[in-house]
Amino acid sequence: MHGWTGKILRVDLTSGTVRTEALNPATARAFIGARGLGTKIMYDEVDPTVDPLSPANKLIFAAGPLTGTFAPSMGRFDVVTKGPLTGAIAASNSGGAWGPELKYAGYDLLIVEGRAAKPVYLWIEDDAVAIRDAAHLWGKDVPETTERLNEETAADAKVACIGPAGERMALIASIMNDMQRAAGRSGVGAVMGSKNLKAVVVRGTGAVTVADREAFVGAVTRAATKIKEHPVGGTGLRLYGTNVLVNILNSVGGLPTGNFQEARFETADKVGGESLAAHQLQRPKGCFACIISCGRATKVTNPKYKGRGEGPEYETAWGFGPDCRIDDLDAVTKANYLCNEYGMDTISMGGTIACAMELFSRGLLTREDTAGLELDFGNAEAMVEAVRLTGTGEGVGVLLAEGSYRLASRFGHPELSMTVKKQEMPAYDPRAVQGIGLNYATNNRGGCHVRGYTISPEILGVPVKADKDAIDGKPELVVLFQNLTAALDSTGGCLFTTFGIGADEFAELMTTATGVPYTADRFIRAGERIWNLERLWNLKAGLSAVDDTLPPRMTGEPIPAGPSKGAVSRVPEMMPLYYAVRGWDGEGVPTRETLDVLELA
Amino acid sequence: MQIHYFALLRTATRRSRENRDPPPPTVGHLLRDLAAEYGPEFARWVLRDGALSNLAIILVDGRDVRGLQGLDTPLTADCEVSIFPPLAGG
Repeated sequence: MHGWTGKILRVDLTSGTVRTEALNPATARAFIGARGLGTKIMYDEVDPTVDPLSPANKLIFAAGPLTGTFAPSMGRFDVVTKGPLTGAIAASNSGGAWGPELKYAGYDLLIVEGRAAKPVYLWIEDDAVAIRDAAHLWGKDVPETTERLNEETAADAKVACIGPAGERMALIASIMNDMQRAAGRSGVGAVMGSKNLKAVVVRGTGAVTVADREAFVGAVTRAATKIKEHPVGGTGLRLYGTNVLVNILNSVGGLPTGNFQEARFETADKVGGESLAAHQLQRPKGCFACIISCGRATKVTNPKYKGRGEGPEYETAWGFGPDCRIDDLDAVTKANYLCNEYGMDTISMGGTIACAMELFSRGLLTREDTAGLELDFGNAEAMVEAVRLTGTGEGVGVLLAEGSYRLASRFGHPELSMTVKKQEMPAYDPRAVQGIGLNYATNNRGGCHVRGYTISPEILGVPVKADKDAIDGKPELVVLFQNLTAALDSTGGCLFTTFGIGADEFAELMTTATGVPYTADRFIRAGERIWNLERLWNLKAGLSAVDDTLPPRMTGEPIPAGPSKGAVSRVPEMMPLYYAVRGWDGEGVPTRETLDVLELA
Repeated sequence: MQIHYFALLRTATRRSRENRDPPPPTVGHLLRDLAAEYGPEFARWVLRDGALSNLAIILVDGRDVRGLQGLDTPLTADCEVSIFPPLAGG
């Protein structure tokens, strides 16, 4: 096989056995890789009703066929499992250099099963795979774990690990790789912790071959040129990072503020990408084979929040900033560092603290509950302390570690949790941007923006401008974006490449790399197949049409002020059309005809 | 009328905001005035051959002019104009 290595590594931590298997070429063609292949394996091998933190759940690290090639910005991988935060299928996507290293070691996927009797880590060096004791690493944060593992394995080995949050099975725990990159969402770090697996360390000396070298070089050159020459992908992201969106969303009245009570934050500019570039930014940073470099290597000199690391990205700056009504970018950046060090998802952490602040402001969460922590909106010091407590598992952090849905439910007000399928919504108010609200409501992993990023047309005007307030055509737009992203994720590509290239270029890259003749339509159809398989998994897990909804605030409380004043989400009107476009019945179940067409029957 | 600049346009104008009183009659007039004043480092991001760049984000009171009347969108003294070069994030 080309593109794909053709090999799967399977490790059973209960029995301590390691074995390799051949990747089925037909399955690879149909589900591409990464998110798609990982989902297919979960569907075939794991009961969707499984307790996500039990040994019966599996944890799949999955690279794509383009991962590890020099195709531009395509070095990513997914962690696929049943998400403990949501109960849905989880596929958390990460960059860095870990995914390519797995390929160079000879594997498309690593499937981790069972549960080790004591803390262990995996050391994969090409064909040599060892399950090693990790007692000395348990309790260590991500930077120390990474440094120690590089010392005791190989200096150039790539490390994916959990921090203390994952060890304690915090439901918002992430898996961190290459020190600063995160498979962040849905609590995949808790699954790793439940298996007593501290880290997976990989070093590979092999290569990824392509089917037609000359044609692949041509496809790469054309794709890279389009990305670089595009005004959106080629310039702004490197200079300002994703956080440049703060001012745009604020200016249109779509920046969720104060736990989504408002949609405009007066001093948002203080936490935007322009401020970050002027104060904390040391240099832009890219993942493997990246030509965009949206990553932010930053430094905070303010003694109160002193530190060095990466971030914040837009979602993080928003979550710890405007959503908590905080405009101190040093504090926001520090909160980001703490999440990276303890191994926690910044979006869910920020959203959970914002929820706690609203509970506190309403007297539902008291000083007694917080052990004296004054969780008022705008209290930057308390916000940073809340992150630290969540990371260490102390005080109110124990409650916050469960995410906002369980927190708000514990105090009798689940409606104050700004979540979909128990996962925190990201940084775009669905009342102000109708398409993204439909994407949130229907997303297979709950509140998520990147799997149907209609902000691109609705706000940025890429590839064409769509009216953010309209609902006409939005179901079709959301479905297209969701399908395309499912396919794109499965290649190992970065979503941001779509600011320069689309399905045609991905089809050309896939064809020349794998030798399988993909067309744009066939590529998107593969994405649709993956989306529907995720849906089937979720239905079997017990989710239903009832879960395809937004928090009641989004449909019942109009935005109170600003350019989007008076707006509410019109998701209920769009949902029947969305189901129809998907080929699902009125209950959101794929019809037999749809499954036949997608070869999923 | 208040104008807000963002990202690279802050570099081009060396400011983040300014007032224009009286305001020019339309967005087109405003952008051409600003292009003349701040030069090609401003103009290259918002205009293309005299027309509005399809990727620049120009807001009048929070409303994208691509959904209003484009360069013909009228301006008044109490308008708030926000001008962004082509940008992305996520």
